[in-house]
Amino acid sequence: MEKFKEKATLALFEKGLITENQFEEIKTYRNLNIFSLNAELKFFLYLSVILFTSGIGILIYENIDSIGHIAILSLLLIVISICFFYCFKHSRGFKREETNFEHPVLEYLVLAGNILTCIFIGYLQFQYKPFGDHYGLATLVPTTVSFFCAYYFDNRSVLTIAITGLAAYIGLSVTPQDIFNDSNNLYASQNLSYSAVILGVLLILWTIYSRRISLKTHFGLVFLTFALHIISIATISNLTNYSTLIWLIFGLMLVGSTYYFYKASYQYKAMSLYVFMIVYAYIGANIFIFRIFENVDFSQMWELFIFLLPAYFVGSIIMFIKLIKNFHKEITA
Amino acid sequence: MIVYDKNRLDNEVLVDEADTLYKGGFISKEQKKIIEKELTVLKSQNNILVRIGFFLLGSLLYGSICAAISLFGLSGEHFFFQICCYIFAIVGFAGTEILANQNYHNHGLDDAFALGALLNVGIAIAVTTDGYEMMIALFVAIAALFLFIRYLHVLSMLVFCFSVTAFLFYVMFEFGDVGKAILPFVAMIFAGIFYFITKKTIQKLKENYYYNGLLLANSFCLVLFYFSCNYLVVRELSGELLGTEVKPGKDIPFALFFYLFTFIVPIFYFFQALKTKDRIMLWLSFLAIAFSIYTIRFYYSVLPIEVALTIGGIVLFAIAYFSIKKLKEKESGLTFKPDRINHSDNFLNAEALVVASTFGIKPEMKTDSPMEFGGGGFSGGGSEGNF
Repeated sequence: MEKFKEKATLALFEKGLITENQFEEIKTYRNLNIFSLNAELKFFLYLSVILFTSGIGILIYENIDSIGHIAILSLLLIVISICFFYCFKHSRGFKREETNFEHPVLEYLVLAGNILTCIFIGYLQFQYKPFGDHYGLATLVPTTVSFFCAYYFDNRSVLTIAITGLAAYIGLSVTPQDIFNDSNNLYASQNLSYSAVILGVLLILWTIYSRRISLKTHFGLVFLTFALHIISIATISNLTNYSTLIWLIFGLMLVGSTYYFYKASYQYKAMSLYVFMIVYAYIGANIFIFRIFENVDFSQMWELFIFLLPAYFVGSIIMFIKLIKNFHKEITA
Repeated sequence: MIVYDKNRLDNEVLVDEADTLYKGGFISKEQKKIIEKELTVLKSQNNILVRIGFFLLGSLLYGSICAAISLFGLSGEHFFFQICCYIFAIVGFAGTEILANQNYHNHGLDDAFALGALLNVGIAIAVTTDGYEMMIALFVAIAALFLFIRYLHVLSMLVFCFSVTAFLFYVMFEFGDVGKAILPFVAMIFAGIFYFITKKTIQKLKENYYYNGLLLANSFCLVLFYFSCNYLVVRELSGELLGTEVKPGKDIPFALFFYLFTFIVPIFYFFQALKTKDRIMLWLSFLAIAFSIYTIRFYYSVLPIEVALTIGGIVLFAIAYFSIKKLKEKESGLTFKPDRINHSDNFLNAEALVVASTFGIKPEMKTDSPMEFGGGGFSGGGSEGNF
């Protein structure tokens, strides 16, 4: 690999596309022979946090009646305190802009402390019911803690936990594996769909507001990603509703969200938002076409449809290629 | 043999290089833009999401073309069923050729047609030969190799590797029980020989067109080598193929060799990777170590799963912590400093997603039924589902 890379740099230099100084600089850097384990070691830290917290979680779940509750609770509390003690000690305090720790380990300690806190509160609620039957409250407390940690220590992973907690409060499961296999049953319960759309809108409003007061603007993409998926999935699953009025309302909502996210993806220069926006809009449009023609009897001419289908897909492909090209041009400009 | 314009392929490499240099902070944004403007390249998609999207669209297009063709053949019924997959495969190859002439490469659309063509070749041979696996593997391998050589399609190379391995396996099955018994060793020798052949070829390469595919084949050989004599794989496969059952107190023949192999190979990969600074081998060694641990846990329950997870987490944390401490201040060679040229931290961006899927808080009430609500375990009755 190296030899081809070096050849490419040389070719760039020979074509006069990079200067001699730059060429020399690159050459010296390559000669350092750097083999960075940065990503690998960070991944290990991350994996260790996941393993450890899962282990603790199962440990508590399995032994919930055998080991003394007080013993478990106090042990958890000690570990949590150690995690947060180090984090607070080395943290540079709250900043409005993006910050990071001097030592990469601390970022993962925040994550560990946060997950353990969630386990702690969950265990507390299960065993002693401090929140009584207010299960919503029992969800909100870990959510609040997570939001605090996310903003104070500037941690994206914790932020996602906080957002899933917020969604859980309204009865929505937005973990990636659940949102796509529709365990929420959005089709059956319309109220949940409305709440989902409202949650999405609130997330968008919060993003706009944070951007205005320049509070952690780099979190915007995380919020918008959640908002896009929540709104789109909620509206699309209601497009098949039998009541004409309801599916038209949700169709309009989808059009509105598509328009907003079209603008937002340009603003944030985010390809991931753009692609998913297009995909959802395309699915929505196809369902819309299908719904319009559902009452017409086509049994005589279905062959014609099959012949038209390739042309339809060719048309869509050309449209997508155009859209992506425009977006590329815009964000690299 | 390569269908693409060589000039454009060369430019592709230069633009990629300019991109890495820009990300490493060696050249300015304006310079990168000038380079991109100067050099005409192929139409390819670097963004994996876009590529998957175009792949899906391409598959829909391919499917709809095949459906339209089927309309003509419906009257022929049985005869058409015999030859339809050949026709579909031809459509796939034609589509790949047309897209390649339009300079589409690694775009997603061409992936759909190339992989679709391979799939149809497989089905067509299966229909003709009544599901004779050896022939299917052979013809798919030939078709995949053709796609790789002519269109530089790296995914086809992966299909080629798998089908060649499958071909080897089915040839060994032809020899009956003897063939099945010596299969692990044959596979090991096969992987070893091809590892060195591909490695030599890569070293001799003058142009880099085939580099990525050969590198993939090379890595595939490493994986095959490890799995060929892994204790778990050997024991389960021999149980499956030969019907031998391992009685308590007994073990499979050469058990000691397989045990040693299971442990020595990953460790050897690891040190070799650090020595040769080979990142792919490094990752393969991590995966191999994980699978070796799984192998042991599969047969001996050393520790209950939760204790194993907790201790594993602590040990891993300690390893990572001390490695970072040791490497943090180094400026060259093995280091913790992010490399300016080779970024391998793309997957760290997916971190938040993984956290959300493993630790996301789920609603406490999923159903209105009081039965399920009361009877659930931790996640049902408690406040969150951490598991």
